[in-house]
Order: sequence, then structure tokens, then C-alpha cells
Amino acid sequence: MQNPIISGRKTFYYYLGIWFIVICFHIFLLVFSGHISVGTAMADSVVSNLLFGSIGLGLWYPIFYGKDEDEKLISVIINNVVGCLLAVGFWLGLTYFLLVSMYSTDQIYLGFIRKSLPWRAGIGLLYYEVIIMVYYLIIFYRNNKENLIKEAELKALVKESELNSLKSQINPHFLFNSLNSISSLTMIEPSKAQEMIIKLSEFLRYTTSNKDEKLTSLDREINNINRYLDIEKIRFGKRLVVKQDIQEACCKLKLPGLILQPLLENAVKYGVYESTEGSTIEMACSCNSSALSVVIRNEWDPEFQYNKGEGIGLRNIRSRLRILYNRDDLLTIKKDNRNFEVTIIFPQI
Amino acid sequence: METIRALIIDDEQLARELIKNYLKDQPDIQIIGECENGFEGARSIAELKPDLVLLDIQMPKINGFEMLELIDNPPVTIFITAHNDHAIRAFEMNAVDYLLKPYSQERLMAALEKAKEKIRAGAKDDRMKLLVGQPLTEKLERIVVKTGTKIRVIPVDRIIYLEAQDDYIMVYTDEGKHLKQGTMKYYEDHLDPSKFVRVHRSYIVRIDQVTQLEPYTKENYIMKLKNGASLKVSRNGLKNLKDKFNF
Repeated sequence: MQNPIISGRKTFYYYLGIWFIVICFHIFLLVFSGHISVGTAMADSVVSNLLFGSIGLGLWYPIFYGKDEDEKLISVIINNVVGCLLAVGFWLGLTYFLLVSMYSTDQIYLGFIRKSLPWRAGIGLLYYEVIIMVYYLIIFYRNNKENLIKEAELKALVKESELNSLKSQINPHFLFNSLNSISSLTMIEPSKAQEMIIKLSEFLRYTTSNKDEKLTSLDREINNINRYLDIEKIRFGKRLVVKQDIQEACCKLKLPGLILQPLLENAVKYGVYESTEGSTIEMACSCNSSALSVVIRNEWDPEFQYNKGEGIGLRNIRSRLRILYNRDDLLTIKKDNRNFEVTIIFPQI
Repeated sequence: METIRALIIDDEQLARELIKNYLKDQPDIQIIGECENGFEGARSIAELKPDLVLLDIQMPKINGFEMLELIDNPPVTIFITAHNDHAIRAFEMNAVDYLLKPYSQERLMAALEKAKEKIRAGAKDDRMKLLVGQPLTEKLERIVVKTGTKIRVIPVDRIIYLEAQDDYIMVYTDEGKHLKQGTMKYYEDHLDPSKFVRVHRSYIVRIDQVTQLEPYTKENYIMKLKNGASLKVSRNGLKNLKDKFNF
């Protein structure tokens, strides 16, 4: 991976700008210390600082490629100390060599440069550490950002799979009982068997092929619900009575696909499966400009119900609504000793 | 060979039609009736005394198991259901076979052969003796009792305690008591062990009904319940209580 300082034009200018300030400061110091002419000070400053600036750019590579995720602290320290000694030593040697050969006749300057070697080494050390620190910060920042992105992606994935598992799954008992009815119809009324096979196939196709779509229109959902109810009517005959009141104007409004299916299955389960005489299931859809409202009501007999609490089906629908609309108040349940009624509001975005 | 008199109990008409169609050409099987639910089923079994019942499990109000429990000497039973998770309970109820819907005519014939064998051998009520000692997966959520001709469903949460009375069990609830056929062993195995405990040869108690426990004799304790009843607790019962609930 390329050095982040030279990979962007802007950061490179910043880098140069910082060194320019350092160079000026260096000149200022040398001139005001009194011994050295402005020209010599400028040469000294430019040579030593530009050299370090170039070495500093190169330092990125051993740091970036040399780092190991589970490296021990001690080896990090050793690496850095060795790197530091090599880089500062090289820089100091080269600077000294260049400046001495440039000003080989200027005895005062030569004396000064020899005396200043220790604090030049100190400054080199300081520069080295600052640059290294910046590089480590950049790496840390990048890793952090990468982790955040990964985390966000993971969250989206979890949400999606959660949604998929919350979507209604085909009830195997419904399927096997329907197949048994078809098996029976093939012997006593083959044309009706065919009708039921087609209805069941259409229902299965809709239920299995809409996994990716988040929202669908009310009329498509109603069509599928009617397929389901028709199949159950063939199974239960006059024990199942369906009443629907769906406003024309609502047909194209949106709702999450297959979200009503488990409610109808519940209505049939608690109404029809548990009733000896028969049960009426009512479904009403109404709407205004901002929301679609669906009410599903079935008759039931609480005395013979197994589970008193809210079932997994209703909980799943609540979670789905929460994920999709970010609201908790969209599903309401009303029940008494005769009727069980669920209302869902679907906001139209 | 004698004809076998069979009764069909299934809440779906098409499912009953299928059985009748499959059995149409069987000279030694005579279908003596059809029932749409467990209430009709229990009544018809009592009146018609069939040799064989072809029984669905999922039915309105009371299921096939609950219906069988209401009958004193249940006939040989073949379960026919779409649920594959009740097989253990079905064989506990002394089923000769367990058919999964949809099923073939051959499969039904094979079940009939087993049933015939059993009927010939003389069907005696040996249910609940089959899988004794087996770990049981299904716990009862409710029990069905019959008072006169009326059938009632009691959720297990309403039971206060059970008392053994010869071949019967007296079920005490918050609103009265009901006599039911069965054994203590059966209820000990089938009631949720985190809620119910056998405290005596003759008593199973719902644990949250207990208010106090006091020594009575050297071996026995007396347990007081919320409804005012006092029950004897045996040494084993005390051990059960200690093991489960750290009394």
C-alpha cells in the first residue's frame, strides 16, 4: 500500500508545508544564535530538513509492511529502536557529509557543525518519533474505519436474515393436510383435485418467490390470501366462512409481503380448526393518504385454546414492523370471549 | 373370518372420504360410522363399540388423544395425522400404527394387517405400559374430563392436586373436582416436572399451591395448600421436594 502522504496531492502539500515551517524555524535559530551567515544557515536547514523529509516518506513502508497483528510489545520496541538508530544515523551521516563538502573552507561553520552533532541527533530522534506516531495514527484510524464499515455491513446482514426468518414460512401441516385432501379428491372428484393443485401451486410459488421484495401491493397480497382461504374452504367446506370488505382505493397501497398470511393462518387455526360448527373470518381494509389499515377478525372459543399468551406468529409480525417502520404501535389486538381481532396500520412512505 | 367394525374420526370430510375409498373393496372391514370431532367420537365409541378406530389427532376442541382418554376400554386404534411429532404419545396410547398424511392405500392395508392381528389376539387395554421408563417429550398442557355427558377441558395451570382413587384419579381444581381414568405414574410422567411433584403414593401437587410443610410422625410430613387442604407427604415425597425445590 502506498504512503498516504504521497497518495494524495493535498496531504503531500501539507507535508511540504510543515517542513517549510521547520526549515524557516531552523534558519531563524541558526542566524540568531549569531555565528552563521544567512546563506549558510539556509543551506544547512534545507539540506538537513529535506533529507529528513525524504527519509520520513520512506519510513512508511517498513512500518506498514512490518507490522504484525499479534506482534509482541517487546519486538515492536526493538524494531522501532533499530529503525530509529538506522534512520537517524543515516540522515546524520549524509547531512554531515554534504554540508562538510559544501563548506569545507569555512572553519567556523565546520567547528559549529561538529559541536552541534549531538543535538542534531536529538532533533532527528524527535522528528523520527513524530513521523512514526503520525503513521501509526493513520494505520489505527484506517483499521478503525474498516472495522466500523464491517460492523455496519454485518448489522445489515443480520437484519436481512432476521427479516427472512420472520417472514411467514409455509406451515407443513397445512401442506400435508392439503395434499391429503387432493389425494382424496383424485378419487372422488378429479377436476376439483386439479383446481386445488393449481391453487396450492400458485400459493407456494407466491410464498417462496417473494423473499427478496420488502414491500408489495395490497391487491397482490389479497390475491394470495384468497388462494390460501380457497384451499382451506375445500378442506373444511361450510365450516369456514369468509367475509371481506376491501376498499377499491387501497388496492395499490404498499405493505410488507406475506405479513398478513400468518394472521389469516392463526384466524383459521383458532377459528376453524378449533370449532365444531364453523367459524367466520372477517377481513377489512381501509385507508387514507398516509396509512393503510387492515383488520382481521375471527370467532373463537377461549375455553378450548391451548396457549393463552401471544404466540410466536404475532411476535414475529411485531418485530418485522419494528424493523421496517421503526415503530412499536402498529399492531393492536382486541379480544373477548367470542372474537379475536388484530389491526395493523401500514404507514405509506 | 369375522368382519372388523371400524369407526372413522376425522374433522375433514375429504380425509374421511379417502379412508372410505381406500377400504371400499375390503370385504372384512365394515365402516360402521363417521365422526367429525372428538365429542361425537367418544359418544359413538361408547354406543357402537367398534373393533377399530381410524383416528385423526388435530380436531376441534379436544384432540384425538384427549378423546381416547375419555373412553373406558378404547378399541384398537390407528392414528392418521399430518403431524409427525406425536408418534411417541400415540404408541403410549397403545396405537397399532401411526400413518402420516398423505398416505397410500398400501400403507393403510399394512396398518390394517397389524390391527387385525391385534384384534384377533384380543385387544386388552395395556396402554401406558408400553414405554414406561422412557424419557417423554410431550408434556400435558391440559386434561379433558367428563362429568356425566359434559366434557370439560382443564388447563394444567388450574390443577391444584391429583389424588389416586383405585383405577381413577381425582383432579382437584380451583372450582371443583373431577374424576378421571388414569394412573398416578402416567400423570407423574406427563405433567411438567418443574410445576408438579409427587409427594405421596396418592398425591401429585402443584408446587406453587403449597403454603407450609410440617412434621407429622417420624416418617411423614403434612403439607398445607392454599385452598386449605392438608395432604400427607411420604419420605420419598419429601425427598422429591428437596431434590427439586430445595425445601
